[in-house]
Amino acid sequence: MSGPYVPEIAIDREGNEHVVQGWQDDFYGGKLGFWLFMFTEVLMFGAMFMALAYYNTLHPQDFLDASASLNRLLGGINTVVLLVSALTMGLGLLNMRVGKIKEAKLMIWATIILAAAFLVIKGFEWRAEYNHGIFLMHDQLLPGSSLPFGQKLFFGLYFTMTGLHGFHIIIGIGLMIWLLKRINAEKVRPDHHILHWNIALYWDIVHLIWVFVFPYYYMIGAGGATGGH
Amino acid sequence: MDTNTIDYAQERSGYYKILVGLLILTAVTFVQPHMFMTESTFLAQMIIAVIKGWLIIMFYMHLKGETLIIWMTGFSLFIVFTFFAIVIGVDVQQFQYLDESHITATITPMADAANAASSTNSAH
Repeated sequence: MSGPYVPEIAIDREGNEHVVQGWQDDFYGGKLGFWLFMFTEVLMFGAMFMALAYYNTLHPQDFLDASASLNRLLGGINTVVLLVSALTMGLGLLNMRVGKIKEAKLMIWATIILAAAFLVIKGFEWRAEYNHGIFLMHDQLLPGSSLPFGQKLFFGLYFTMTGLHGFHIIIGIGLMIWLLKRINAEKVRPDHHILHWNIALYWDIVHLIWVFVFPYYYMIGAGGATGGH
Repeated sequence: MDTNTIDYAQERSGYYKILVGLLILTAVTFVQPHMFMTESTFLAQMIIAVIKGWLIIMFYMHLKGETLIIWMTGFSLFIVFTFFAIVIGVDVQQFQYLDESHITATITPMADAANAASSTNSAH
């Protein structure tokens, strides 16, 4: 991880030295590899959406009632927060690519602050739900409670998926702090910025997942009693 | 994406334009249940989400012009949606284990009330 890259040398039968091809600067390969990782994320969340759609098909009215009870204002604010954070992350990468290191770091810090704001808002939302007896393995979600079964499934998946998404946000904050360290150490530079590129891609996939999580959980019950089903 | 061919002002302006587009679509997400396609809220919300997702993937994730990755993305989405179609479209429609399933409990307070009402009516 540290020190300049020293290429490996291979010697043929005649004693001639040859530099072995290194892949440290394979920008496209690095990007392609990260896209493959993101497909695993899509598969993971895709499976969860599949479970959600499965239970939704079995309990449509319960899902609408449960969705209608979520706090759309806080969910909407978080949507905008993530949306702006995707912009600051993108602008940070753009600044890095053109050599504006200071501006790039500022944009990464802005993204970190917005990510933390997202978590705080989500925390308030979960706390309110907990106080209403709605939380994993708690009060209303226990097997013996009077809450309709479909709503228990809805809220179980809601906490699981938004929790996993929140965990991705925390990982993202860690990655951005690591990125700042690498920039300060000049390991990430305008001519070698694949790490910055891939962390920006990571942040975009976290945003992308929320783009589908938000309407499915918060908005399907916004249309009244039937929600359009 | 070649770092030697960056038009900073143009790319920055592109980022802001996409932001405005995403903000407008987010606003549409909120007004949709009260303004249009009110009988198909779920479908409308998913259409808006797909448009937002397309904007993010193409412009924020720089997929525009990346032919190989676009094909890979399309293929993986095809696989996910195929499983969606099989599981949701086929399996759920022909669900055979209602009696022993733990995910299809039908005894709810509402169902109890409905059953009680129907039995009262039939008694009369």
